[in-house]
Amino acid sequence: MNSQQPNRATAAPGASKTLLVAQREFVENMRTKAFWIGIFIFPVLISAMMIVPSLLERAKSARQYVVVDQSGWLLEAVEQRAALPDLEKVFATALEAQRSESSDLEQLPDELRETAQQIDVALGMIREQQPGLAADPEEWEATEAKVIEGFASMVAGFAGTEGAAMRELLPAQAIEPLEQLRSSIQSWWLALPAEEASEYGSGLSKSRYIRVDADGSASDPNTLEELNRRVADGEIFAYLVIGPDPVSGEEESRYVSSNLTDDDLLVWFSRLAGDVVRERRLAEKEIDQETANWIQAPLDFRQSRVGAGGEEEAVEAQDFVRQWAPVMFVYLLWISVFSVAQMLLTNTVEEKSNRLMEVLLSSVSPLQLMLGKILGIAATGLTMVSSWAIFFYLATKYLPRFLDVDPGFDLSIIATDVRYVGAFLIYFLLGYLFYAALLVGIGSVCNSLKEAQNLMSPIMLLLFVPLVSMVPIGRDPNGILARAMSYFPPFTPFVMMNRAAGPPSTMEYVLTTALLLVSVLLVMWGAAKVFRIGVLMTGKAPKPMEILRWLRAPVGLVPERRES
Amino acid sequence: MTSNTLALEINSVTKRFGKHVAVDGLSLQVPEGSIYGFLGPNGAGKTTTIRMVMSIIYPDDGSIRILGQPNAESIKDELGYLPEEKGLYKKMTAIEILTYFGRLKGMNGRHAKSRGLELLKQYGLGDAAEKKCETLSKGMGQKVQILGTVIHDPRLVILDEPFSGLDPVNVEVMRELILSMKRDGRTVIFSTHIMPQAEQLCDFIMLVNRGKKVIDGPLGEVRSAGDHGIQIDYDGDGSVFKEVAGVERINDSGKHAEIFLEKGVDPQTVLQQLVGRISIRRFDLREPSLHEIFVRAVGGEVIDE
Repeated sequence: MNSQQPNRATAAPGASKTLLVAQREFVENMRTKAFWIGIFIFPVLISAMMIVPSLLERAKSARQYVVVDQSGWLLEAVEQRAALPDLEKVFATALEAQRSESSDLEQLPDELRETAQQIDVALGMIREQQPGLAADPEEWEATEAKVIEGFASMVAGFAGTEGAAMRELLPAQAIEPLEQLRSSIQSWWLALPAEEASEYGSGLSKSRYIRVDADGSASDPNTLEELNRRVADGEIFAYLVIGPDPVSGEEESRYVSSNLTDDDLLVWFSRLAGDVVRERRLAEKEIDQETANWIQAPLDFRQSRVGAGGEEEAVEAQDFVRQWAPVMFVYLLWISVFSVAQMLLTNTVEEKSNRLMEVLLSSVSPLQLMLGKILGIAATGLTMVSSWAIFFYLATKYLPRFLDVDPGFDLSIIATDVRYVGAFLIYFLLGYLFYAALLVGIGSVCNSLKEAQNLMSPIMLLLFVPLVSMVPIGRDPNGILARAMSYFPPFTPFVMMNRAAGPPSTMEYVLTTALLLVSVLLVMWGAAKVFRIGVLMTGKAPKPMEILRWLRAPVGLVPERRES
Repeated sequence: MTSNTLALEINSVTKRFGKHVAVDGLSLQVPEGSIYGFLGPNGAGKTTTIRMVMSIIYPDDGSIRILGQPNAESIKDELGYLPEEKGLYKKMTAIEILTYFGRLKGMNGRHAKSRGLELLKQYGLGDAAEKKCETLSKGMGQKVQILGTVIHDPRLVILDEPFSGLDPVNVEVMRELILSMKRDGRTVIFSTHIMPQAEQLCDFIMLVNRGKKVIDGPLGEVRSAGDHGIQIDYDGDGSVFKEVAGVERINDSGKHAEIFLEKGVDPQTVLQQLVGRISIRRFDLREPSLHEIFVRAVGGEVIDE
């Protein structure tokens, strides 16, 4: 009879059937929208987190404002000061165009092009005279910035310390041509309309905050009434009134707007005005700038940490990130464990309501079916999570540069740290297996998702605990709370991940992971028992007590076949 | 093959669900190469028996030998099973499902696919092969399920209520499939609560009621063991049968009636009494229907049909 059955593979062993079930689950999940949304949502979120703030900044519309200056001098000083960072940006941009010899250079106005050339020449002279400076890239960058800043302050029209620093650096023959350029570039800048300013540099205050002239004199009460009307009509965003003697500190200045939530304009203006006023006060009391800085210098505490060997280690920004990165990983772990295990639950309930269980059970054993499902969905989850890990690495390494954002340091060190990424993958797998077994057991006894959700609520409550304890544990990763929670298997993956910055001792890693492994096996065993009975049940979902009875049920209901 | 090898042997099997005894000391023998019908009303224990045969659930008492093995688990690949509750993966195409079922039964992927396509074509579903199951009509879906049961050319096929919910065209397809399995020397066991279907197909039958076997054996023997009855095809008012003297029981279906007479009553006198009152198209004396046998065996308890 068997001769009539061609091409039958040698009776498929149990493992291969399990893999077949797993493969089908994996392929089917790959076809769902949810899977691809899961794959892409993370990169999109990360990119959004990095891009959106700068986009928002760029998208802010220009604010028109009026200043009623009763002092007669403060406004002018503020505008000089405001021009300084703008000019620095414009010169730096022009200098870059000059160096790259791009076509951008030709589009620049003559004055600006010449400025860029002269700055370049001046820098060349410094390089020749002080080769030591040019050799160190960090120092050279600072030198360039100093020169640009110095010339910008000359053009802006106030002689601060910056100009002096430049003069010290530059030889006289380099300063002369710059001095000659000063007035032409100054008049170009003043004549440049605010709308066009953004062509010469990004984030210029000239294009963000546009001052319009007020009609009438400051002392006229009608003027203020008129200004109120203009604010109400939306013609201008706000107006400021500066008293006759702001230096005295005895009168108040005013800021009037219909929108007090967006205080960018106020913050920007008051900082500049505050600087000017402070300088005046210092001059009045004949206190030099250095003395003032010294008086205001705070008492600094340098943080350092004692390492495991007793030696002191310097604390860097990276350490702060290392301390808190686990919190982000716990979040990710929680979301991925939960969403992937949930996938399994939905899938089991669907298979049951599609009445497929019995057909499948005529070909595979319940244990094979259950393991196959758990494996298949684990593969789905791992694919998703690994794609996140890879993206996270690439994003932290390349995205900041690509977006021209300076993150301060290299975030990708976290992405390559085994303590984080390795632990993440392992705890994902173990945590998933633990919760997957619980949920597949629940899924097997339910006929609808609604029933499943009812049975799931205690597990949900349990799952929220590691979320709530996330910050306290992050603060004190080796505290009593953290240690105690590590030994409770349902929390182990999250809490141990949470503590990665501690880090816990190797002994703790070994013990808690062993405990978790044992409970994974236990839960699997229980789930297999429940699954076996549950998948064939129709009608009302059993009560939790009933399920407990199944777990304790002796042979008979349990898949032990008595041989005759 | 000889008819004395048994495809399935059940020895006094009992299954309880709590206090309810679903199957009670049931024994039967299914010879290889035959078509065997499990007959009985809903809730008689047919599905429970089949599930035990398939090792989906296990008996509390008694033993089962299937294809010579004590347990279906080791020979699952040689069995085909169509459960009472049938379903398909909605998102898979017809050919994907058939291939998957075939592979689960140990076929290699390529062979399962080509055999699946062959079967789909043979049963008029060639165009539906690449369609997702959720887009198939109910009848088409049922055909795919049935083909999934036999794709691996099993030695023994067990079909639980295979005809329920099928339209007449698909009933015909199902019958053709069962008969072709028998022609190939396969064994087919199916359950039904509709007696005429079993009468048309089965070599052997077993009648069950309330978990207990009522009667079993070759169809012919089962039937000839009962009293002969008169089969009448007629037009007219069937109430006249009640007025006929010497009649013990009447199964009247409107155009057809089955009449059983008291001992010693001559069928000819019945015919004489009926002539002229209804128009008779057929009148013969023969073995009783399964329905009658069943009703008699369970002592006139109402069965639903």
